[in-house]
Amino acid sequence: MIARLDRISLLAVPALVFLAAIYALPLMMLLAKSFQGPEGTGISAYIEFFSDPYNLNVLWRTIRVALLTTLLALLIAYPTAFAMARANGIWLTVFLVALVLPMSLGVVVKAFAWSILFRANGALNEFMQWIGLTSGPIRMMFTETALVVGAANVFLPFMVLPIYAVVRQLNASLPDAAASLGATPLFRFTHVTLPLTLPGVVAGAAFVFSLSISMYVIPSLIVGERQQTMSMLIARSFLYLRDETLGSTISAILLAIAVAVVLFSSWLAGRLGARQ
Amino acid sequence: MTNVLTATKPPAMQTPIERNYLDVSGVGKAFRGVRVMDAMNFRMAKGELVSLLGPSGCGKTTLLRIIAGLMAADEGAVVLGGRNITTLPAHKRNISVVFQNYALFPHLTVAENVAFGLRARGTAKGDTAKPVAEALALVRMTEFADRPIAALSGGQQQRVAVARALVVDPDLLLLDEPFSALDRKLRETMQVELKAMLRDRGITAIFVTHDQEEALGVSDRIAVMNAGRIEQFADPSTLYARPNSPFVMDFVGLSTRLHGTVTSHDAGMITVKTAIGDLHARANFPVGTAVLLGVRPELVAPDPDPQMNSVTVPLRDVMVLGSKTVLHGVANDADRVLCELPGIRSGFSHGQTATLGWSIEDTLVYEVAG
Ligand SMILES: Nc1ncnc2c1ncn2[C@@H]1O[C@H](COP(=O)(O)OP(=O)(O)O)[C@@H](O)[C@H]1O
Ligand SMILES: [Mg+2]
Repeated sequence: MIARLDRISLLAVPALVFLAAIYALPLMMLLAKSFQGPEGTGISAYIEFFSDPYNLNVLWRTIRVALLTTLLALLIAYPTAFAMARANGIWLTVFLVALVLPMSLGVVVKAFAWSILFRANGALNEFMQWIGLTSGPIRMMFTETALVVGAANVFLPFMVLPIYAVVRQLNASLPDAAASLGATPLFRFTHVTLPLTLPGVVAGAAFVFSLSISMYVIPSLIVGERQQTMSMLIARSFLYLRDETLGSTISAILLAIAVAVVLFSSWLAGRLGARQ
Repeated sequence: MTNVLTATKPPAMQTPIERNYLDVSGVGKAFRGVRVMDAMNFRMAKGELVSLLGPSGCGKTTLLRIIAGLMAADEGAVVLGGRNITTLPAHKRNISVVFQNYALFPHLTVAENVAFGLRARGTAKGDTAKPVAEALALVRMTEFADRPIAALSGGQQQRVAVARALVVDPDLLLLDEPFSALDRKLRETMQVELKAMLRDRGITAIFVTHDQEEALGVSDRIAVMNAGRIEQFADPSTLYARPNSPFVMDFVGLSTRLHGTVTSHDAGMITVKTAIGDLHARANFPVGTAVLLGVRPELVAPDPDPQMNSVTVPLRDVMVLGSKTVLHGVANDADRVLCELPGIRSGFSHGQTATLGWSIEDTLVYEVAG
């Protein structure tokens, strides 16, 4: 066995040790706590969590926001990735800077910048009233829509970059070949371009979904305590309620969803990539 | 019983060939202000196999893309089968293309690749099996039908690309250097196969190549291209025997090259003074004209008759190639005399002087910038 071990794979050892010590071990300890209630070991904490409609509501909102965020990011990122793959020289630099620079800004700064635009007496409301689209200020901050828009904005690079990487590898003569074989632009897209770029879409969607389902800072700043998400429930359990069992239980549920998404998407990407 | 004669007569022999099935006229193209093609005219008959031969970058792919509708010309028209298709998008032209890199779809199997054109034309999935099987049988790839593209060799991918292009029964087939990625042996086999396949099915095709031997072997006619223009468009033997410019003479085959000046002109015969003596050719250039003389190497032989052109030159190289022996004589820096003799010839050696000659009738002559 040892003899057959690829020596290059030994290069992964530092990363594995690091992940085991900093990530896996504490997480296991946390998960273990979720099975230790006041009445001994068992799944009572889970039963309790799922029997509370409020918790179910939060769980559903969290998943819904993550799905919508992923969808919105995908709709914006997909054409952007193609534009970037076409661009070269200075334009490619402009694209990459525009994409990566905001990441260094931090979510807090962004959230306050948005509030200038979106609050009741903000620029957008004033504008809509001025052109006569609305008669009074409409609520835009502190809504689920604002949360989805904000999260999609923050996580956009994680969708664009994997798709861009795939689009750049795309053989430019494939759409030409399809056209010369009689394929309309729509047929070309659905039968050539889309299937070939799907691995990038799957990777990007897995990134953005995982990030959105566990986000804490963005919902705290944009919607506040009014509409809780799973991460906010976890924080509340640990910080205010001092209920480690509840906190660990919600963490475990969140982790289970994330693991399911990652496993499903790698399976999907593997299937899609199998022939290429 | 049908009359044996009429039944076997090839139709192309019966009627004068109408060379306007494909009619490219006045086509021009510039990339970012740089003209790469100007007033291109190109016509061919139905069922013809024409080669576009020219050096890399001369505009062969550009012309193919304009004909296929994958690129718009800046001006000019493309007419196919009497229909003006200049502004018709590629997917409505029924012109198949075999791309230089094959451009097979990596996410589809061999059979799915071949079925693509049928599916794109709305053929139901169940109805593609038969034509796909026939096309794969034609290129002898039947047993690879369910393989992924990545599992094929270059030659096999090339066959699949041909099957995919033919299965839709195109009005015109365009092949862009289809064999350039194959090794020499495989390339020669494929040339023979492809030619037979296109002949048998009466496919009208344009075959792009930068390999003169390939062009001579494969095609009915050859268009020699240079810098976005067609230099000469003729059948292989005319092209080889009577190239109409020094460019064509050099690009299609090898030849002797001797520069000189016309010193006398009489009754369609000129005398040219070269660095290695006076030579004659059939032409009508006035005295004083700077000319280039040429002759194909297999028309040159040692010990010429007195009425032939004759030169005595030192031999820089003697190449014994088995089926032929090539003598390379030096005239001066730019000029050379090439002589190709059948079989293995002894009696010639490097550094020795040889007297070589050829017929006046075989002498090619071109006016050049003095
Ligand atoms: N998309 C393009 N953009 C700019 N220049 C191009 C483009 N396509 C071709 N060219 C130029 O046009 C000329 C002809 O190219 P091409 O038709 O590909 O030649 P060939 O196929 O004979 O090698 C070349 O000088 C090439 O650099
Ligand atoms: Mg080319």
